[in-house]
Amino acid sequence: MTERIDGATVEVVRSYLLSAAEEMRTTLLRTAFNPVIYEVHDFGISIYDEHLELIAEAPGLTSFLGANDFSIVKTMEYVGAENVHRGDVVMVNLPYWSAAHAYDAMMFSPVYLPRAEDPESDGLLLGYVSVRAHWMDLGAKDPGYVLDSTDVHQEGVLFPGTKLWDRGEPVTAMHELIRFNSRMPDLVIGDLHAQVSCLRTGELRLREIIRKFGKDTVDAAVATIRDQSEARTREALLQLPQGTWTAEDWLDDDGITEDPILMKVTVTIANGEMVVDFAGSSPAVPGPVNMPFGATIALGKVVLKNLTSPNEPGDAGSSRPLTVLAEPGTLFHAVYPQPTFTLWTGIVALELIYKALAQGMPDRLAASSGGDVPGFMMVGDHPDTGEFFAISNNDVVGRGGSPDHDGLDATMHISESIVRNTPIEVLEARSGMRFEALEIRTDSGGAGKFRGGCGIRRDIRFFSPGEFLSVIKKTKTAPWSLDGGLEPEPNQVVVFPGTEREQVVSTKRTAVAPGDLIRIITAGGGGHGEPRQRDAEAVSRDVAEGYVSAEAARDVYGLEL
Amino acid sequence: MTARPYHLAVDIGGTFVDAMELDQRTGVVRFRKASTTPAAPWEGVLAAVEALGTDLAEAEVFIHGTTLGLNAVLERRGGATGIITNAGLRDIFLIGRGNLPDEQMYNFQYERPPSLVQRRHTAGVRGRLDHHGEVLEPLDEDDLRDVARQLVEEQGVISVAVCFLHSYLNPESEQRAAELLRSWYPELKVSVSTDVVREYREYERTSTTVLEAYIRPIFERYVDELERGLADRDFAGRFLIMRSGGGSMTSDAAKHSPTPTVLSGPAGGIVGGSYIAEVLGRDNLLTFDIGGTSLDACVIEQGTAVITHEAELEHYPLLMPTYDIRTIGAGGGSIATIERGLLKVGPRSAGAQPGPVCYGRGGTEPTVTDAAVVLGYVDPDSFLSGRMRLHDKEALTAVTEQIAGPLGLTPREAAAGIFDVMLAKTVGAVRQITVERGHDPKAFSLLAFGGAGPLVAPLLARELNVGEVIVPFAPSGFSAWGMLSADVVTDLSRTRMELLDEADLGDVAAELDELGRDAFRSLADQGVDESHMAVERQLELRYLGQEHTLTLSIHAGLDAKTIRDAFNEMHRVRYGHSMDNPIQILTSRVRGIGRTERPELPTSPAGDGNAARALVTTRRAFDFGIRAEADFAVFDRSKLEPGDRFRGPALVDEGTSTTVVHSGQQVMVEEHGYLLITPDSEGAFA
Repeated sequence: MTERIDGATVEVVRSYLLSAAEEMRTTLLRTAFNPVIYEVHDFGISIYDEHLELIAEAPGLTSFLGANDFSIVKTMEYVGAENVHRGDVVMVNLPYWSAAHAYDAMMFSPVYLPRAEDPESDGLLLGYVSVRAHWMDLGAKDPGYVLDSTDVHQEGVLFPGTKLWDRGEPVTAMHELIRFNSRMPDLVIGDLHAQVSCLRTGELRLREIIRKFGKDTVDAAVATIRDQSEARTREALLQLPQGTWTAEDWLDDDGITEDPILMKVTVTIANGEMVVDFAGSSPAVPGPVNMPFGATIALGKVVLKNLTSPNEPGDAGSSRPLTVLAEPGTLFHAVYPQPTFTLWTGIVALELIYKALAQGMPDRLAASSGGDVPGFMMVGDHPDTGEFFAISNNDVVGRGGSPDHDGLDATMHISESIVRNTPIEVLEARSGMRFEALEIRTDSGGAGKFRGGCGIRRDIRFFSPGEFLSVIKKTKTAPWSLDGGLEPEPNQVVVFPGTEREQVVSTKRTAVAPGDLIRIITAGGGGHGEPRQRDAEAVSRDVAEGYVSAEAARDVYGLEL
Repeated sequence: MTARPYHLAVDIGGTFVDAMELDQRTGVVRFRKASTTPAAPWEGVLAAVEALGTDLAEAEVFIHGTTLGLNAVLERRGGATGIITNAGLRDIFLIGRGNLPDEQMYNFQYERPPSLVQRRHTAGVRGRLDHHGEVLEPLDEDDLRDVARQLVEEQGVISVAVCFLHSYLNPESEQRAAELLRSWYPELKVSVSTDVVREYREYERTSTTVLEAYIRPIFERYVDELERGLADRDFAGRFLIMRSGGGSMTSDAAKHSPTPTVLSGPAGGIVGGSYIAEVLGRDNLLTFDIGGTSLDACVIEQGTAVITHEAELEHYPLLMPTYDIRTIGAGGGSIATIERGLLKVGPRSAGAQPGPVCYGRGGTEPTVTDAAVVLGYVDPDSFLSGRMRLHDKEALTAVTEQIAGPLGLTPREAAAGIFDVMLAKTVGAVRQITVERGHDPKAFSLLAFGGAGPLVAPLLARELNVGEVIVPFAPSGFSAWGMLSADVVTDLSRTRMELLDEADLGDVAAELDELGRDAFRSLADQGVDESHMAVERQLELRYLGQEHTLTLSIHAGLDAKTIRDAFNEMHRVRYGHSMDNPIQILTSRVRGIGRTERPELPTSPAGDGNAARALVTTRRAFDFGIRAEADFAVFDRSKLEPGDRFRGPALVDEGTSTTVVHSGQQVMVEEHGYLLITPDSEGAFA
């Protein structure tokens, strides 16, 4: 059925498909209402063929790579292809299908080419366009973020593949349902419309592309691209050390009890395939740190991509050699009604997979970064206006030392490396926080021949009352190092330091009053290689710049300055 | 008329310095090139001026486009630059926003290029403002003294950026700190954030200030050398330097504050494009500048090029009005390769050295230019008016062996494939910049310049369904020509961040007036006569909660309802919807403009309409209109006259560039001699 076409035509069609996804991305970014979309890039955009196989994508967050793939298949199983028509917009946020928590609204539309003789007909199904984006509020138990839910019904209103538009007509009742179930209805309805604009753009472009080149040519081009992506991925896997490696790490807690949670993964690279198996990990826990299985699969895709084709756009072919396994009812495969809201497990687990791989290829991989995205949020009534505010920030950590260079200082975690922190001038104007320090911490990077990057210290003084939410899941254990490098100190959140109320906390909702201080300490990256093998000039430069103290230079690196 | 008749424009590129002379008395322009001299860049500039042979004593204006500031950053050639900020925040610049460039998202072992500022050159001093700009703790001058001593005397810092938190609301403590620093160290260059840009967000403001501090020493030396060289040649006119976001500034102003010049490379062509849009009456114009390594595209709406207020330089944010240019790695020198059976074009470029295979300078990989030779668009014997013989056989061999063979295509099919792939890359990007503005590309005229512009633009117009391509005279010198029409411009801004409904619009108007007066003062300092001054006032607005803003021009008095309606309408056009949400005024902006006398576009009377007079020969070449070889009529551009019309397939040759018209397209020569290429009467464009 598919014709053979030349490599120039394939490349032309590929460019058009990618720019369709890019144009969807531009439309979303330009029309979105909430900063989590346009600042944090908490979204994912994908285009599928009529068999629901990925053609092109424009991920926002690193770990949203291919997250829509699982979601659209699961949802269409429920909805039924025969029930979806031209002009429909379908929404799903049921975590077990949508591959994320309930505040990530995934929407998709079918794309049809109407028959010339009957422009009102659905005509030929060409494929689907989809976009997921984080919404600010959909009626979960607490404002802001949910840290301690014990079942999915505390996490927001659930949509199991519900039409928001039906054959081009808005389903007003659903829009009203959303509006009345959100604490921030304007933002949410604004984002809903932004996502629909994004889908309409994609629909238009995909239809144009197929009109321009013909469906057979596009099908042939897509098939060629997929086969090549698959071949490239398999070849790259064959060039890596082959074997099976297991690693364990700990997640701080589930938000309900203080107990650390075991994560375990076994990774196999053999015969051009990669298997990521989370067997041996903790059973699902009572609190909201369980992973929807679709999100777990996305972790495997991110690692595979980083190892095999970091600079190539993804498609269905590139993930064919990947298998991700996790037993239903365990930490990495939540089932109804297990809570999943916090999602931080995925951040920590991403580096767990590398921890396993690094045993087989320490000469290729970096040590662990600070190991987490230390986030915080403050909610309260604004001291100037008395109005409710909720504002958040994600902090930087150090990156791990590499086989041939130091890890970056003070950089976003690998799971969301294009996300930006929030400016202090914005945070101070919109909340009751004042920042007394935001500094790189001397000696915070794990020592090594190539040292880990440094983490930071952030001191927050409150000048109005409210609640402070620290969102961080790796404070109890240190990030791992490689090949004789040293481990850095772990992340730490200290509330009210130097007072009687001083306490080291992990993910927590803390009431704060004017004058209170909270200190966030983020971890550096792990070191790579023996510190004493470090180039003396690099050590003295680090001392001169204040990344390493003279004492550490002497005691750890053996360099008397 | 000015007393001195000549206006000179000199533009430094990566390989050549282009110099253009305009004689105001006759409107005649002359154009010469010299080689770029990276070690002492002023020498190449002076050499180009000498090549022109203009009597500098008779020159009224010397206008200069330079990417020196950009190069200093790219090559890390600036001097030891320090940062003084608040205690506890010395790492504000090094931490930045913590993010990596988008394209590095999956590279978990990324290495950053070396920072512009060493950590030991950063320091914090005690003293703090709150988010209203009120003093929480006064500036600790003793602390500042210690810090300054340490940075300047111990660390050898020669240029320093001063940036305090919330200073955009209250610049007093920054100004006081600068005053002290200058009094202690008269040789130290001090750049103050609120002098550079008075807008919110501490990292972005610091970064902009650091870029200025970093570039200043090197830029000042360059301008000094150039001023001296020009004075030695009896130049007594005005020395202007092109800005990144439109217009120019005097060399004196640029020495003091060079940041507005750093991204001015493509600005000349856009200034020229804006002028052409006005003269030809085109509401929507896309400029399309294709050189050897890249393609720069920019949207011009109602004669005004689109400006972004936040640019990036090597991933450092730059809060400076800058033309919103989309650069695509696809130019005449872009290299074609086969990767896993797929044909890729660019972003690697053969540049000027070794250049395309057909230049015979050692290039071995086929480029877009080689494909053009294989397709028959370029006559190997008359390239650059015969000054450079092209090696067409070698180009054919390279395309055949490296592209056609592996793809199983004929050489011409392969060469056409190279064009197809380049176009596909370009179409997406061009579509983005028009769609971002809420326009359909169909609504645009496309102005093609740069050496390869007219070669590619008619094809791009087909792909984009654009109604018209405009090819100016001497497309390869258009950027330098455009500089001749640059005004003297000053931009000023203030962050406000208040709700439209709560704002005291009288206060907003007063601020705009104050900024207007400051802008006029700056223009007067730059020698602009009051009678030539104009001011543009703008408010940057958004719905509360949005990040992106829209810029609304304020023509008459301020009135909340008018502003709200205009903003809603603009939002609807751009994004397809408007909202009932409150509107926030983010920034007030003022642009002061000192009008310069623009080069006249001479018109010629219509000829007899018979283009046959200019017909030189016919040539077999590849016609994308029918995707097959065809006979192309070859016209000599210098012999075409206004009113001439002809149909594709046709080639219009003018020595430094060739315009390629395919079947389904027609050409009309308008009154200034510009070529207008449109779909022909059958409308067979797409």
